[in-house]
Amino acid sequence: MRTLALALALILPLHAHAQNHGPILTSTVETHVLPGFAVLSQATEALTQAAQTDCSPGSARLQAAYHTAFDSWISVSHLRFGPTEVQDRAFSLAFWPDTKGFTPKALSGLIASEDASVETPAEFAETSVAGRGFFALEQMLFDPKFTDQGAAPYRCALIQAIATDIDNNAHAIDADWAIYAITLTRPGESGPYRSEDEAMQELYRALTTGLEFTGDTRLGRPMGTFDRPRPNRAEARRSDRSLRHVELSLIALRDLAAHLSADYPGIAADLDAAFAKAIASAQSLDDPALAGVATPQGRFRVEALQQSINDIRAIASAELGPTLGINAGFNSLDGD
Amino acid sequence: MTNRRHFLAGLAAASLAPVRGWASVGAPDYLAAALFPDGSYRLAGLDINGEILFTLPLPARGHAAAAHPYRAQAVAFARRPGTFAVVIDCTTGRETARLEAPKNRHFYGHGVFSANGNKLFTTENNFEAGEGVIGIWDSQSYTRLGEFPSGGVGPHDMRLMPDGQTLVVANGGIETHPDTGRSKLNLPVMRSRLSYLNLSGRVLEQVELPRAMHKNSIRHLCVRRDGLVGFAMQWQGETSQHPPLLGLHRQGDAPHLLSAPVADHSTLQGYAGSIAFAGDGQTVAITCPRGNALHRFTVDDGQLSGVFPLEDVCGLGPGTGGFVYTTGTGLVGRLRNGKAKTFAQPRCQWDNHLIPIRGPA
Repeated sequence: MRTLALALALILPLHAHAQNHGPILTSTVETHVLPGFAVLSQATEALTQAAQTDCSPGSARLQAAYHTAFDSWISVSHLRFGPTEVQDRAFSLAFWPDTKGFTPKALSGLIASEDASVETPAEFAETSVAGRGFFALEQMLFDPKFTDQGAAPYRCALIQAIATDIDNNAHAIDADWAIYAITLTRPGESGPYRSEDEAMQELYRALTTGLEFTGDTRLGRPMGTFDRPRPNRAEARRSDRSLRHVELSLIALRDLAAHLSADYPGIAADLDAAFAKAIASAQSLDDPALAGVATPQGRFRVEALQQSINDIRAIASAELGPTLGINAGFNSLDGD
Repeated sequence: MTNRRHFLAGLAAASLAPVRGWASVGAPDYLAAALFPDGSYRLAGLDINGEILFTLPLPARGHAAAAHPYRAQAVAFARRPGTFAVVIDCTTGRETARLEAPKNRHFYGHGVFSANGNKLFTTENNFEAGEGVIGIWDSQSYTRLGEFPSGGVGPHDMRLMPDGQTLVVANGGIETHPDTGRSKLNLPVMRSRLSYLNLSGRVLEQVELPRAMHKNSIRHLCVRRDGLVGFAMQWQGETSQHPPLLGLHRQGDAPHLLSAPVADHSTLQGYAGSIAFAGDGQTVAITCPRGNALHRFTVDDGQLSGVFPLEDVCGLGPGTGGFVYTTGTGLVGRLRNGKAKTFAQPRCQWDNHLIPIRGPA
């Protein structure tokens, strides 16, 4: 099967323009993209309701709603284009990594001055992205540093404002996707995608950049170097979600990869097997905050997980990309 | 009086006589790195007709190079985040020295010599702080003399201004860390700047684009003889937006942004790879390898003066009355009188940049 896939990969680029991507575009949008954002906006609505009912950081209902909504975001967070990127919505939902500690600074600043923007969603939406979204909420709920900073009523109002802002962004993305879906499934000269090839490229890029982010950033950041591991840099470690984000993103990316490779069973099988291996590796890790990177044994296991993600990336770029007629080009790597 | 004249004559002899100049290697006009068919990465010397005069092996994929103003010597930088740069004697093809980035620094792939050739400046990342620095190296021993802040985050290209006393730095604004490969860590808060520094590192001027364009990363530079600076950008914001990718700036003034009409401009995918002024300085051009095009503008009125479709075009330098370009498909071509003409196609893939070799001032 692998030989056939490679043979196809070598032959097909010549005919790439003749491919009909219509059915794949439609199925990806209808069963991968749109349901994901619908689930997110339902979950964020539950989150904002929970925060209105009980804003205390220890509230079981609020914490559960936070976890569910964050799960839903991670499951669509690879779809970084179109409505997700408008007005920095994705960054407003998830400001991470935070290399210079902007989130605690923004939160402390709001609390210290009792900034009145928390009373008006439109005004709060104009404040720094670092003080908004899931990572700001995580610190307010789980970081002891914020449990007694400033006055309790203000902290409550801030938690509610962050939850409402998350919900507004999620709803805006969901609503806009209903329209954007048409431009992606029916490309044309007047839209952002002039051809089905361009629309496929966007989805393929979502797959490869999603894999890159999970492997290089979600895992690479806490791994640091062997001599200097950085467990405190793990994503959402305060609420023990670091490993969960890796697993959820791999599950979502596996689904996207299955859609994109649907016409090429050999490649689809290769990708699926590689995803299965990586997901199993993540599930067997039992290290929710990736704190194990600080020990040599723990680090080796995380390194193995990272390698299994690199294996998926290799299949995507060697088999899937060329088959879809997507050529990276020699000179167009970002930032060079 | 006599003493002084003798002294000056002696100085000139000392600085010129013992060094073999670029003439000894066939007087190349440009340097460029490339991937050759045998799989080797090499640095090549090209003449103005695209003829390859020499090629020298590199240890890894190259990016840009700095040509010494007098000696036939080039410093080839690894692609970022490389931690070494190789000093090559172009007369013998041998590596004569190797620059190792100090602990907690890596190179960004560009550098420039001082006007007298005594020092080399390199753009580097102080990655634990997430701040850019300029490394200073002695060009005899290639030992490190020191460093100073670059004036921003993620410095990439850097040029020496015609006064020989000022560096202009493209602080791209994007924070990266070797632990996370090429991942961009700070896009929502990035700020790109064009920074002018004196040779001791004092910031003379900082130029930023309007707030709505803070995700437009200034990455590559060219400088005209009169001090006009051209800068090429890479857009990190929404893909549905198409802000200009070329700017012109004169110290003390506001920057001027140029772009083609939307039908042509929107095909560039927010990415310009190189920038150069034409040999006569009348026009300026950017190469756009993602959009497979070269866009040329008239400097005086900022009007588009030509769109040239060229697959994977990236390397660009001044040519007689126009430009010389290279492509990832191997072409070396000339743009003159409104026509792009290929005049060589060696079997290699040219890397991003074509570095003009300055003659003695």
